[in-house]
Amino acid sequence: MRDPLPDHGEELIHLMHDSEARSDVPADSVTQQFAAVSAGTVKAKRKGLPLGAWIAIGWMAILILAAILAPVLPIPDPINDANPLKAAQGPTLDHIFGLDGNGRDVFSRIIWGARNSLFIAFAAVITGFLIGGALGLISGYFKGRIGGVLGAITDILLAFPQLVLALAVVSFLGRTVFNVTMALAIVSIPILARITRASALSWSERDFVTAARAQGAGHIRTMLREILPNVLPAMLSIALLGIAVAIVAEASLSLVGAGVKPDVTTWGNVIFSGQAYIRDAPSMVLFPSMVIFFTVYALNYLGDVLRATFDVRESAL
Amino acid sequence: MPRTFTLKFLRLVLVVLVVTFITFGLTKLQPGDPVSKIIPFGTAQQKAELRTDLGLDKPFIAQYGKWLGNFVQGDFGKYYDSKQSVNTVIKTSLPVSLELMLYAQFFALLIAIPLGVTTAYRAGSKYDRGANATMFALLALPNFVVALLLAIYVGAKWQLLPTQSNVIPFPLNPLDNWTYMLMPVVALTLGQIAVYMRLLRSDMIATLQEDFITTAKAKGIPTRRILWRHALRPSSLTLLTVAGLNVGALIGGAIVVENVFGVPGLGKRITEAILAKQYPALQSYVAIIAILYVTVNFAIDILYSVLDPRIRNARSVA
Amino acid sequence: MSAASIKESSATTPASEAPLLVVNDLKTYFKTDRGLVRAVDGVSFTLERGRTLGVVGESGSGKTVLSRSIMGLLPKRDVERSGSVKFEGVELVGADTSLMVEYWGDQMAMVFQDPMTSLNPVMRVGKQITEGLRQHLDISKDHANQTALALLSSVGIPEPERRLRQYPHEMSGGMRQRVMIAIAIACGPKLLFADEPTTALDVTVQAQILDLLQTQQRDRYMAMILVTHDLGVVAGRTDEIAVMYAGKVVEKAPTKVLFSNLRHPYTEALLSSIPKISDPSHTRLKTIGGRPPNLINPPSGCKFSPRCAYATDKCRTEEPPLSAPDSDGHQFSCWFPVELSAKQTAGVR
Ligand SMILES: Nc1ncnc2c1ncn2[C@@H]1O[C@H](COP(=O)(O)OP(=O)(O)OP(=O)(O)O)[C@@H](O)[C@H]1O
Ligand code: SF4
Ligand SMILES: [Mg+2]
Repeated sequence: MRDPLPDHGEELIHLMHDSEARSDVPADSVTQQFAAVSAGTVKAKRKGLPLGAWIAIGWMAILILAAILAPVLPIPDPINDANPLKAAQGPTLDHIFGLDGNGRDVFSRIIWGARNSLFIAFAAVITGFLIGGALGLISGYFKGRIGGVLGAITDILLAFPQLVLALAVVSFLGRTVFNVTMALAIVSIPILARITRASALSWSERDFVTAARAQGAGHIRTMLREILPNVLPAMLSIALLGIAVAIVAEASLSLVGAGVKPDVTTWGNVIFSGQAYIRDAPSMVLFPSMVIFFTVYALNYLGDVLRATFDVRESAL
Repeated sequence: MPRTFTLKFLRLVLVVLVVTFITFGLTKLQPGDPVSKIIPFGTAQQKAELRTDLGLDKPFIAQYGKWLGNFVQGDFGKYYDSKQSVNTVIKTSLPVSLELMLYAQFFALLIAIPLGVTTAYRAGSKYDRGANATMFALLALPNFVVALLLAIYVGAKWQLLPTQSNVIPFPLNPLDNWTYMLMPVVALTLGQIAVYMRLLRSDMIATLQEDFITTAKAKGIPTRRILWRHALRPSSLTLLTVAGLNVGALIGGAIVVENVFGVPGLGKRITEAILAKQYPALQSYVAIIAILYVTVNFAIDILYSVLDPRIRNARSVA
Repeated sequence: MSAASIKESSATTPASEAPLLVVNDLKTYFKTDRGLVRAVDGVSFTLERGRTLGVVGESGSGKTVLSRSIMGLLPKRDVERSGSVKFEGVELVGADTSLMVEYWGDQMAMVFQDPMTSLNPVMRVGKQITEGLRQHLDISKDHANQTALALLSSVGIPEPERRLRQYPHEMSGGMRQRVMIAIAIACGPKLLFADEPTTALDVTVQAQILDLLQTQQRDRYMAMILVTHDLGVVAGRTDEIAVMYAGKVVEKAPTKVLFSNLRHPYTEALLSSIPKISDPSHTRLKTIGGRPPNLINPPSGCKFSPRCAYATDKCRTEEPPLSAPDSDGHQFSCWFPVELSAKQTAGVR
């Protein structure tokens, strides 16, 4: 007599609540935000990708392309073409996003910023994906002592406000691109570890895994061949959301003056440098904020689509 | 019941210890000599004396132990240069941050709960889809963007609210306090609404499929009462846990928002300490945040088991 | 009382004394991604107070949907419900929820299949009983508590004071089902649905719960619709039996008549597949060969023809209508009904 559920939003939530509500050390807030993001907006039918997904993919593709091609694009060089006489100018035909406080073209700074911001976010999440994924897979597969210890470490790392952790790491290690990347990677490791672990735990109970083991497959082979492919969709959708979170985190760090040094162009730094001029030239802050918003939206949306398409529910139960 | 709680409590203490130990270790890995920061032009003799005074010549573990001992006794240390005590700074800034976060949490839940309940009940309707789309967009809106938008329009352009960094304590003048707090609170609240609403909604949708909801309906209980009395109660338990875990995001958000608006809260002080490389102070701030976070979640854990009879009994049996 | 005599009496009595429940050509279809599920496809019957109707059929035959459709407890969306349900002469099909709320719990109530999930886990048992009482009867809290206490003792729960303050998880399955019964009968409904009330319970308590339902039904002069997939359950406890297959009633007769003179091959198959006591409690009826019919694209002709031992070409092309009741009130829909000789082989219980 049950209504077919209106969406598939529940699985991740339950996946997380089940493990979190019962685990003794509470999990982090970012996982909760992931859960909130994944609370089912997209109803993926088998028909293929919804239009929105194509728009999101298009936006990300343009952004990534522009970031890669920034040096060869016909845009003013943000440093050498700066015109201090025309500082803090609103949008004009020549400079569609205006000029910043040092007379640098905001549009080109956003593109150059994409280079660094996207690099930081992707590199951080890929690192977190590999390390966290491996930890999660191992601790989900070996349920015994190894799993327990790794799970406890994850919990401890998760039991700390993420931004404060990143702030602490960057401020202690220094404000370089590498260190910010590392800080965000450290933050994302436990998140991916937890998701992977919860998912791997359920899959490792399945018959086909037992069957593979019975046929003499080794632990590593079983993990990589039997479990990983099933856990991957959940990991990927979380990773997409993770990139969005990392982009926001990078900007937040810059905004509080603890991100990458201001001479490196990142989205966060573009906004940071515009903050002093919000009275006269709010465009300096508005445009990069908009770009961040669209990017985060696109990534959230794609994460949702991915999860709905692969029906992550199954692996979560 | 007491045993599980003791265990939980011990684990939380362990978390705080590990976190402070790691941050302490990181401060020690710093390039540069803290003593040179305090008296850059002191003689080698003076520096050596100061080093002994600060205990910097002792082994790492001993230094950590000393810091921990002081911290537990309520001595949070001093700033390097001015000898300003961290305790005084905390006394003035922590209440501001707590006020900000409490307001944000309160309003987020106040708005999110009715939204979550009604959209779950009317899942799939135009109203639901509209609310959902709005919330999905809000999730993608970083709180610093909201903060900056408010600062630009409400603060600078229309000059409706003060953007200056004065926060009048609530007891002195509630109205002034609110005018200063309004924008930071809104900036911090918006994203939280989306998080809570979406979680509650999907949880409620699942709860509304439960057999006991049909039972309530078959008893002739009106819809409104079924929603608020029967369905919300179990779902609110999850919401409670989430609200606790979300304190982490709230703290991060408070740091950002305080910086954008110049609110003199702990978040602002932390970033100042980071920029000035005031490591001993920073060390205490980080510890206080860890304790805050862990305590809130411990409290919620207890509250949770008080509210959920199943857990309550499982515990009392164990 | 046979169906014929019901009709006679209702013809001569004023509308206020109309039969308690008259269901006429009730249909309930679900719109799904795969197509229209015809879960209930034209069911008619009449039920008077004090009588018990057994509804029997395999899993998926539409028993639950039928009872919920009569009661109006269907999902809000993607449901097509047509035909007529008259309760004391009042039409309930198409009625507003605001009207139904007056009937639910007060005039008609339901005991559900799974007592483990049918009680609110975070509400005290006492509250769950008094809630309905206070909703319908406008009585004080104290009065409601007293009534709840009396109800719990009447459904055979020892130490009712203590139990009232407990939560569902502190009780056994049988105990919870007793609570469910107490909740259902609390406001003195005239019609009680019991949807497989014992399938989720231990074999040892099944009979107790069924006996309890039976005594309550008699004492309170309720009409009861007892839904089950087990002919053995309804044998001694009902006045009439309706056998359902693919959303339709395929055979209907007073209980004694049905067991002494069953006519439909499906009923015959059901009877020969009554689970033995030794089977696990929720054993499905697997002994009938073939699969239950697809409700989205049902077979043409007689819906049972793909599985029927007696099927002919006629069966596969023309659907047999439900016959008019004979002098015993016996109805069935089959071109080639089972003859008396078959009874012996089927074995009467
Ligand atoms: N909400 C719904 N949406 C779509 N199909 C439904 C819905 N509810 C029930 N059905 C379908 O209606 C048919 C009849 O189901 P019903 O639950 O009434 O069977 P039943 O006779 O009670 O079986 P059981 O013995 O298993 O309880 C089934 O095929 C079921 O899948
Ligand atoms: S009509 Fe034919 S197929 Fe259907 S039950 Fe009767 S004999 Fe069997
Ligand atoms: Mg059923």
